[in-house]
Amino acid sequence: MKRDQNFKYFSLSLIWFWLFLFALLPTCFVVATSFMPPHQNDILSQTSTLENYQLVFQPLYLKIFQKSFVIAGLATLICLFLGYPFAYLIARMQGRLKNFLLMLIIIPFWTSSLIRSYALIAMIKTKGLLNTFLLSLGFISGPLPLLFTNTAVMIGLVYNLLPFMILPILTNVERLDSQIIDAARDLGANRMTTFRRIVLPLTLPGIIAGCILVFLPAMTIFYIPDILGGAKSILLGNLIQNQYLIAQNWPMGSALSTVLTLILVSLIIIYLIATRGNKKRDWM
Amino acid sequence: MKKGLLYFTLVLFLLLSQFSHAANILNIYAWSGEIPDTLIRQFEKETKIKVNFSTYENNEILYAKIRAARSAGYDIILPSSYYVDRMLRQNMLAKLDKAKIPNLKHLDPQFVHPAYDPEMTYSVPFIWGTTGIFYNKAYFTHPNITKWDDLWQKRFANTLMLLDDTREVFSIALLSLGYSANDKNEEHIKKAFEKLKLLMPNVKVFSSDTVVSIIVDEDATVGMVWNGDAYKASQENNNIEFIFPREGFVIWVDNLAVPANAPHKDAAYAFINFLLRPDIAKEIALNTNYPITNLSGKKLLPSAVQNNPVIYPPAAVLKKGQFQTDVGEETLAVYEKYWEELKMSG
Amino acid sequence: MNLRRLQNNIYLTLMYAFFYIPIITLIIYSFNDTKYSLIWRGFTWGWYVELFSDADLWISTWHSFILALMSSTIATSIGLIAAVSLYRYRFLGRNILNGLIFIMILSPEIVMGASLLILFSKLDLPLGFFSLLLAHITFCMPFVIVTILSRLVSVDKNIFEAAKDLGAQDFLIFRRIIFPLMLPAICASWLLSFTLSLDDVIISYFVAGPEFQILPLQIYSMVRAGVKPEINALCSVLFCLTLGLVLLAQFALRKKS
Repeated sequence: MKRDQNFKYFSLSLIWFWLFLFALLPTCFVVATSFMPPHQNDILSQTSTLENYQLVFQPLYLKIFQKSFVIAGLATLICLFLGYPFAYLIARMQGRLKNFLLMLIIIPFWTSSLIRSYALIAMIKTKGLLNTFLLSLGFISGPLPLLFTNTAVMIGLVYNLLPFMILPILTNVERLDSQIIDAARDLGANRMTTFRRIVLPLTLPGIIAGCILVFLPAMTIFYIPDILGGAKSILLGNLIQNQYLIAQNWPMGSALSTVLTLILVSLIIIYLIATRGNKKRDWM
Repeated sequence: MKKGLLYFTLVLFLLLSQFSHAANILNIYAWSGEIPDTLIRQFEKETKIKVNFSTYENNEILYAKIRAARSAGYDIILPSSYYVDRMLRQNMLAKLDKAKIPNLKHLDPQFVHPAYDPEMTYSVPFIWGTTGIFYNKAYFTHPNITKWDDLWQKRFANTLMLLDDTREVFSIALLSLGYSANDKNEEHIKKAFEKLKLLMPNVKVFSSDTVVSIIVDEDATVGMVWNGDAYKASQENNNIEFIFPREGFVIWVDNLAVPANAPHKDAAYAFINFLLRPDIAKEIALNTNYPITNLSGKKLLPSAVQNNPVIYPPAAVLKKGQFQTDVGEETLAVYEKYWEELKMSG
Repeated sequence: MNLRRLQNNIYLTLMYAFFYIPIITLIIYSFNDTKYSLIWRGFTWGWYVELFSDADLWISTWHSFILALMSSTIATSIGLIAAVSLYRYRFLGRNILNGLIFIMILSPEIVMGASLLILFSKLDLPLGFFSLLLAHITFCMPFVIVTILSRLVSVDKNIFEAAKDLGAQDFLIFRRIIFPLMLPAICASWLLSFTLSLDDVIISYFVAGPEFQILPLQIYSMVRAGVKPEINALCSVLFCLTLGLVLLAQFALRKKS
């Protein structure tokens, strides 16, 4: 009996200690900083103000939020359409081959993402590999202006975030009982219907998880729009980085970050409320 | 599992205690590419001081770290001039013991009395550069580019490369309007912003890290660049030309400085003195292709480099340059605001 | 049926090509005879020579490896305990903890880095290996917790009921039932943490100190001075090493079964 309590108390105190010190406290710092007057960087300053939040809701920043949402959303959709079939196919394979193929996806990501992005640049430059290849085969008459455009940014985002979509969907599809699918087919459903009525709803939690894991970094990443897009526009990530580093305006950066977090949290809450109606078992 | 954790922590503490007891250490935090590795090795060999070399790539992170963490642990830093300005006013830099740096005498007189630190009390100028215009002559039969204002021409639509730096980009507009590159007047800054908005259709890319490869690979055929980078590019691509714009240009200087709480000050002075040796300065110049502030060192360079007008412009040209100074946090915020609006207008 | 098979295989091959072509590009360019250009200029072994004599780069690589190893192991351990506790126990502040984990995943890395820097400076913790380790464990943990939790909720609760009925105590249940069941999720979380830690630039940016240089930071600033093919050479070497290890593991496992 005593041993029982020990484990529980040990676990709880460990978690509480860690999360309190390294998660709760810093989060409080961030929120506290957002209420400080602009350019004040010392936490223990006395004054507090809503100035930063007022600034956040100006049209310029709202425009930046909106643009970031659109780009992140688009990247998420592309990752979904590319990643779902991929995850599905691999998940249905047999043990060792599947693990091997999975590792093959992960290994490239142990190479610095920055260097891989530069490799992408080398590929899509005006005189890069892609253009040289297509030109020599006569598929195009002049080089494709891919680099420093929105397309390049999208390619970079999808390339870096695709595994985050694939892995959750994959773990979800793995748990799919093939008997259900077989039963559906036996009852006369064709592939489309089986997919639409059975597979899709059952894998929805994985899809949601994947979308979240892709959407969130896509909202705040800054070096991909910078090096692949030519830094010609400011997204949320660049903005927050600017505020923290270049403008030395930690209160503003914190305010932006807090607003972003609140928006995303509300989206998730809306989703949870919407799906609470279903009495389905929570697979997530 | 618990035991494993305990063991790890013990090992950690042991490791840490190792570091804090080692006597002869020097921690350098500098721009990448300005202090060659070979020289660090040479310094280590000559003085038996172990060097830990970390790098950053913008002044802001340097400033943020030194400001936030008093025990950041760095002994030598390499801030640009306007950051020396800011850091010394906020008491973040140590007063230099000049008795321990006799090689200061080798410096070029042009650089030893900067406005922000007239007696070199806190900083030692090390490497400098100017910003100017480059163009690829293979793409322009009649370039006729002599001033910043020329960049606004319609024929440069979607071909320009600009540096991804607020102050630098605004300086080209300010200078083309006849104002100072360090202008604090909000009216002037606003005018510069309006002018820059007109430039945006010409801009193909803002870059700060792949500058040389963009120029060499001809992804951008005209734009603004530092003279050192233009020189590097011209060595791999003979079509690259560099000019100093007529209206004026920015001069930046990177300075050696010692943070106020540096743990190994004597090693720091030894290192600064080492870097100021003429033969070492010459190595730095040859290795990094940037202009150096060390006059004696410069004299040791091959004449092709010493007299290269791109790296060491003649005095008459250099007169038109303006040293970059700190504009203060409020004005910087104004610049930033316009910078963000500028990028969102594209 | 065969047509479908073919379609699938083509699709899979294309996807893998998408993942790997940049890597192959990277390897090819490590032999590029140029300092700054990203266009092919000629073949040279020079960068590999320079790489193998650059002790600093290897030391950073080693540091990053050790850091990633330790932080992923510790993060997985603590995360596992956290996930299990959140799943099994009703305790005060449970919802706050849930929310906190969520916020940690949502936070932009810059914000986390900056706030940890403030924390460490208030605690007067010198920046170095320890600060990096703590930071890495902190940002890996939420991912571990989410991964393991999502697998936990699909376990049949009856197993625990049965075990409890048979008199098993919490720790025993954890050790003999939960741990083995969660092994795939634990491995997945460990791999995920390892990957995240190896490649982290932004948070490390803020909390790294002078005496423990790590690879991503060094790469980030070398790149600033112009992408030197030397970095490509390093990444190629690392990539081939890891690929080799994985292939070896595959082969060894095949023999086992």
